[in-house]
Amino acid sequence: MKVEHSSHISREIRVAWAITVKDMRTYYTQPPSIMFGIIFPFALFLSFSIGRNLPLATQIPVLISQTLFFASSSIGPVVIPIERADQTFDRFLTSPVSLLAILMGKTLGGIIYGAGISVIPVLVGIVFFGSQIVNFGALIACFALSSLAFSALGIMFASIPGQTVGQVMMPLNFVRIPLLFISGVFTPVSELPFWMQVVSMLSPLTHTVELARYSSGGETFFGPFVNIAVLTFYAAIFLFLGIRFHIMNQRKE
Amino acid sequence: MKVAVKAQGLTKQYRDILAVDHIGLEVFEGEIFGLLGPNGAGKTTTIRMLTGQTKPTSGTAVVADHDIIRESIKAKERVGVVPEVSNIYDEMSAWDNLIFAAQLYSVPKIEREKRAKELLELFGLYERRKDRVVGFSRGMKRRVTIAAALIHKPKMLFLDEPTTGLDVQSSRMIRNLIKELNDSGVTIFLTTHYIEEADQLCQRVAIINQGRIVVVDNPEKLKAAMEERHVIEISFSPSRDLNDKLRGLSCVNNVSRLGDKFRLYVDDASEVIPSLIDFARKNSLKIISINTLKPSLEDAFVRLTGLSPEVMATEKEPIKKREE
Repeated sequence: MKVEHSSHISREIRVAWAITVKDMRTYYTQPPSIMFGIIFPFALFLSFSIGRNLPLATQIPVLISQTLFFASSSIGPVVIPIERADQTFDRFLTSPVSLLAILMGKTLGGIIYGAGISVIPVLVGIVFFGSQIVNFGALIACFALSSLAFSALGIMFASIPGQTVGQVMMPLNFVRIPLLFISGVFTPVSELPFWMQVVSMLSPLTHTVELARYSSGGETFFGPFVNIAVLTFYAAIFLFLGIRFHIMNQRKE
Repeated sequence: MKVAVKAQGLTKQYRDILAVDHIGLEVFEGEIFGLLGPNGAGKTTTIRMLTGQTKPTSGTAVVADHDIIRESIKAKERVGVVPEVSNIYDEMSAWDNLIFAAQLYSVPKIEREKRAKELLELFGLYERRKDRVVGFSRGMKRRVTIAAALIHKPKMLFLDEPTTGLDVQSSRMIRNLIKELNDSGVTIFLTTHYIEEADQLCQRVAIINQGRIVVVDNPEKLKAAMEERHVIEISFSPSRDLNDKLRGLSCVNNVSRLGDKFRLYVDDASEVIPSLIDFARKNSLKIISINTLKPSLEDAFVRLTGLSPEVMATEKEPIKKREE
C-alpha cells in the first residue's frame, strides 16, 4: 500500500514536470508571455525611473522585483485560457492525473519563467552598473518565494473561466498595477506615511522589493524574516485558493 | 459478454438546462457502440461524464471496471479519449505531441518512442513526424489526436463525432481505422449525428434525443422493426417545396426532403401511389421518379424521434481554434 502511494506521488511529480516542460517549450515565446512578462515590467521600470536622477544601481532591486512580479504571474493567465480555447486543457482532464498535479506543473512553469527572466536584471546590474550582491541567501529567498507566490497568484486568476488571455489578464492587472504604488517600488516604505506603511505591509510585492534591496546591501523596513514570513504566507494562500477555485470551476463544467 | 461501460440514471443539469436526463446504457467489451442523435441531444455531455471531464449531477457509471467518480484515475488509465475538436498542440510536432501524451499516461520512457513510431507509421504520418501540427490538414490532425489517445494501449476508445468536419476521403480513412482498431480488440464508444456512419460502423446504437435514450438496439433490428412501414421516394418537376402539401395527403405520416426528392413515410404504399398521381395532376407537376424503399436506419430514427433527417444533417457551428 505504501509502495503504491509513493509510486502514485512520484507519477504525479513526473506528470507535473512533463506539463512544465511542455509549457516552457510551447508558451514561453508566445507574444502574450513576452508582452506581459518581459516588456511590461521593463517599460514600467523605465517610465518611472528615467528622469528621477537616481543612480541606476540603486534601482536594480526594483527592476528585479518588477520582473519577478510580472513574469511569474503572467504564465498561468497566458497558458490556461489558451489551453481552454484550444481544448488542450481537456487533454489533462481525460488523463489519469489529478488536478493538483496539473496546477503544480503550471505553477512551476511560472516560477521558472519569472526567476529565469529576473536573473537578467541581476546580471545587468552587476556587469554594467556595479551592483553588488552582499546577501545571496536573501536573494535566493527573494527569488524562490516571490516567484512561487506570484506564479500561484497567476494560476489563481486563471481560474476565471475565460478563453482569451485578455479575460484573465485584465482583472489581474487591476490588482497588479495598484500594488506597484503601495509596495515601496517608487518610494521606499520608510518614507511613506504610517497608514501607507501598514497597507504596504499587506502587499506581497513590498516584501519582494525589500528582500531584493536587502540582498544588495540596502535596508529592509520590516526586516528579512518578516519579508520571508509574509511571502511564504501569500504563497500558501494563493496556492490554496487557486486550487480551490479551479476545483469549483471543474464542478460547474 | 463482459460489460465495458455501464451507466445508470446518469444525469447532467446545467442551471436551467437538463442536458442528459437519467440515461442508462451498457456497452459490451469488443463492440462498436454508437450514440446517435442530433446536435444538442446530449451526446458530448454523456461522453464527457463517462470520461471524467465533467461530474454527473446524479447517477453512476462504471467504465473499464472502475467507478467514474470514486476511481476516476483508474478508469482514465484504461481508456483513450478523442474529443470532437482535435485537441493537440499546434505549436508542437506530431512526434512531440505523442511523446507528451505518453508522459501524461506515464508510459515508461523505454516504450514511449517505440509506441509513438508504431502509431505514426500505422496512421501514415511517420514521414511528417517532425513537422509542427499547425501545418497539418484537419484529417491529419484527427489522426494525430487518435494516435495520442492510443499511446497507452487502452482497452477502450471514446470518440466524440470522429468524422465531423472532415472531407470524404479523411472520413473514410478514420472509419476504416476505427474498424481496424475494433478488430484488434479495442472497444469503441462513439457519438455521431451521421446516421449512415452509425449504420456502417456500429454493432449497436443508442438513439438519444433531448437528453434521453429513445432506444438501444442493433441497426438491423431497428430497420427490421420498421418493415411494416413503407417509404416512398418521389421527385417532381418543377421541383419546389411541397412538404406541407404532401403531408396533407391521407395515409402519409411524415415527409422529408432530400435534394430534389421527397421521402414519404406511409402505412401502405399501394394506397398512396394513386393519390400521388392525382396530387401531381392537380398541382400541374410531372413525376420524374417514384420508388418504394427498404427502411433504413434513418427511417427508424425518424420514426423513433419524430425528427426529420434534415435536423441530423445540420452541422454544429465549427469550434474555432486560435490559428484556424
